[in-house]
Parts: sequence; structure tokens; C-alpha cells
Amino acid sequence: MFSSLEAAIDELVPEGTGLLAVGGMHMHNNPMQLVRELVRRRRHVHRLLTSPSASLAADLLIGAGLVEEVATSYIGFEHLGLAPAYRRAAESGSMKVYELCEAAIVHGLYAGAGGLPFVPLPRGLELSDISSANPEHFRTIIDPYTGERVLAAAALRPDVALIHAIAADDHHNVFFAGAHFTDRLMAMAAKKVIVQVERIAEPEEMASHPAESTLPGFLISAVVIAPGGCRPTASHGAYGYDEAALRAYLKLARTEEGFTEYLLANGMAPAEVPA
Amino acid sequence: MSVAVEYSTAELMAAVLARQLRPAEVAIMGAVSALPQAACRLAQLTTAPGLWFIAGGSGAVNPHLEPLVASSCDERLLDADAVMPLADVILVEGRGDLIDVFFAGGLQIDARGNCNLGPVGPWRHPTLRGPGGVGLPFIARAGRVVIYSMSHDRRTFVEHVDFVSGPGFINGHHALPGGGPSLIVTPLCTMDFDPPTHRARLATLHPGVSMDTVVEATGFALAMPDRLVETPPPTSQELSILRRIDAGGLLRGGARP
Repeated sequence: MFSSLEAAIDELVPEGTGLLAVGGMHMHNNPMQLVRELVRRRRHVHRLLTSPSASLAADLLIGAGLVEEVATSYIGFEHLGLAPAYRRAAESGSMKVYELCEAAIVHGLYAGAGGLPFVPLPRGLELSDISSANPEHFRTIIDPYTGERVLAAAALRPDVALIHAIAADDHHNVFFAGAHFTDRLMAMAAKKVIVQVERIAEPEEMASHPAESTLPGFLISAVVIAPGGCRPTASHGAYGYDEAALRAYLKLARTEEGFTEYLLANGMAPAEVPA
Repeated sequence: MSVAVEYSTAELMAAVLARQLRPAEVAIMGAVSALPQAACRLAQLTTAPGLWFIAGGSGAVNPHLEPLVASSCDERLLDADAVMPLADVILVEGRGDLIDVFFAGGLQIDARGNCNLGPVGPWRHPTLRGPGGVGLPFIARAGRVVIYSMSHDRRTFVEHVDFVSGPGFINGHHALPGGGPSLIVTPLCTMDFDPPTHRARLATLHPGVSMDTVVEATGFALAMPDRLVETPPPTSQELSILRRIDAGGLLRGGARP
């Protein structure tokens, strides 16, 4: 059973969702179709959790004013430049940055997926200012085995995760192509998961996918068929990122007016305003 | 010496970075890492056979780089000797005995090799919100840290970073689990670290760059070596390998590496 985009967002991402996780890495595999629908609906989230390196998906949600806090270790566009909406919101203080590092995200999701209450982190990570900037998330504990002080991070248990994959079957079994980044982990840790896919899985799909590149349907709440749904970011196994379109976004989004213009030109007029 | 050949600043930097690597070491790099990726591939084909390198978020191990690509998560990097899921890469970064060389960078880099890729200015109300440190906290655990920056100016090279994303020698008196920063490579020069003080020290000047230019462009008091030498330019062999890897010209101004 596949879901319509509207129904999946309506049912699974209610207004005021506590912790929303969005997958992909850099300009690759961003679940843009799901994110654009959130923007169209103007669904606010309390805290947005990104993968270790987020890009357009996070910047759009932030720019649209839908994010109260962002838990992240990177939002940017690599060689194309800094994230304009993220910069504006963080520099003006209109949104709180909940500082994390990649270890806190990945180990925190692992803890969330496995029911671990928290995770101790490797020695040396306490030397960065990331942990001191976020005492809500990072604590110093005593290692009961050695008696030494170690840094610990909270488990991450997203209320909903939005991810992208190449294909899924009608039992919600999901298949990845290329790199799947931290998306499988995000799905295993989240209470509900919406997956957007390029296509319906072929009957022989499983034969070409090793165990580490699939997710079983029992973890997945809804699958939305969205061919081209990552554009202008890349979809591994299907297409590369559209550098010209990303540069056009970066140019427009330098101002609030330009950002709004981008939303209107890309089908993200607010639902109540006729486009 | 070889005949003078034209080369770009990024090609020079790639050659310098490549000469830092030794056979059978394991190197890792993050976002915006076409430059160290090219350096690693060059090193594998010249002075460091058997070198391993993990290309950022793609999880690619020894990507063949045909062609060199701009994004660290590009699917084309998966044309490689092996591929690790990203979560596995982040897992083993924590071991501390596996990564010999960590390539790092920042919007701000200070005299002790600390790197800031997060907030510039006050943490809560930054004047410039950088993207974030991703895996930079792990540099505290690496065998050695090689820092590269395509900007060499007083905004980038500061006495103290406003925020430590990647710990270098901290304040110079801090015990680190890893070996700490070993070299900084910029478009103007290379800097190493003076062992007793753990402060950056000018090591070599790139051809045609004066010491005054470097001092003027550096926002901290740069320690001076006993003897100043010129950075050896890329050899014709190094350049021909780099241009085979980088057929698209990323290192020659096609796009910022």
C-alpha cells in the first residue's frame, strides 16, 4: 500500500511535532518532495534533527519559519556556499541552534534504535566547544569501570523521520541505491517513518540488494512514490544534483523576499493562499 | 630540477598535501574535500603506495577519482576499492588507533591549530553562522591533523577561534588523546608547529610569495623558523597525475576545491 503525499504528511506529521528527523547528506538524497509538502502546509516542528550534514531540506524548513530549534552538526552547501536561511535564523536569534557533532547524532540514533538510555562518547570529544554549548544534550559522567570522567550524549528518538530511497514494495520494504548515509539508522530510531521513493520495487529487487541496503516494512509507516522527488538534490541510483538550480536558490535566498519568491516559484505557496 | 611548468595554487597545495602521506597509512577527510582527495590519490600513485583514504560522507574507501568531484557525497565516489556505510565510518573514527591522518579546516583557524566551522563571534548571536563542525571533534583523536584552507587572511587565521569545533593544541598545555596538528597548508605557505609552544610556525613560502605577505595576511604572531625555504613546486610527474585525476579541472579554477 502506497500513500498519497498529502495523506502521509497529514496523518504522520501533525502541527507541532516534537522531534522531526530529515535524512540525506549534503546535496544528496534529501527527501525534498516530503519537505516541500511540509512547507506548503506550514507545519511547524519543535525541533528539527538533521543528518550529520544537511543542506536544502533543512534550509527550506528553517527559512519558512517552521523550525523552533535545529539539532545539527552541519547545514551548508559544501563548495556552493553557506546555507542562507540557516545563517539568517541563527544570526538573528529567531531560531535556537542545538549544537551536535556527527558522533552525537549517529551514536544517539543508535541508542534511540536500540533502547539505550544514553551513550558515552570517545575520549577527546569533550575538548570541542560543541558539548559545552549544549549542556542539555551533553553531560559528563563517571565511567563505572575506570572511574574516569567521560562525555555522554542523550539518545535520539525522533517522533517522525522523513527519508528517501530508490524503491519500495507494497509491503513497505525499502531498497537503497548508492550510499544510504545515516538514513537506515534514522528510520530504525524513529517512532514513525515516511519514505519517499523513485519507483515501485521490481519483483527481483531483493536479489540485487545486500542486507545492509534494505529496511523491512514493519519499520515504515508510509511510502510515497515520488519520481524525481529529491530534485534539485541528487538521488543516488537515479540522478545527480542540479548545480544550477541550487545556485539559483542560494542567490535568491540571500534575502527574505528572495526566499519567499523561491517558495512561490517552486510550488510552496502557503496552502491557504491561491498560488 | 624540473623545467618550470605552469600550475595552479590548488595543484601546488595538492602536491604539498600528498607529500605528507606515507605508505599504508589511513587518511580521512570531510566536506569540501576534493583537494585532499586528489592529494591522497596522487600519494598512492607516487610516494605512498598502499595508502588508504576515506572520502567524507560517501564512505568510499580509495575512490578512483575518475573524475575528481566537488561534493564529498557524490555517487561517483563509490567507484572505489571498498565502501563503508557512513555510520560505520563515524563509528570507527572513534577507535583512535585507526586514523593516521585527519584532513581538517575551518572558517577560523588559530595559532594552536584549533578549527572553527561553527559560530563566528558570540556563540548565541554569531556575526557569521558557519555550517557546523560535523566530525571535527574527532581530530583530537587522530594520529596527526593536516589543516588546509583556500583562504589565507586575517579573518581566517586568528589568535583564538571564537568556537572550537575541532580541537588543535587547545591552549598549548592540554593533553590530547591524538597527535594534534602537524601542518597547515594555505595558498601562501605551509606552517608547522613549534614543539615547545605548540604554536604555528612558518615552514615554507610558496614560490613568489614574500614573508611580508604572509605576516600581513595572518592574524596572529607567526613563529619564524631558523631557516626559511621555498615550498618545492609540483614536479611534472605530479602535475601529469593530478591532471589525469582531475580531468574536469576542479583544481585549476573549474570550481573551488
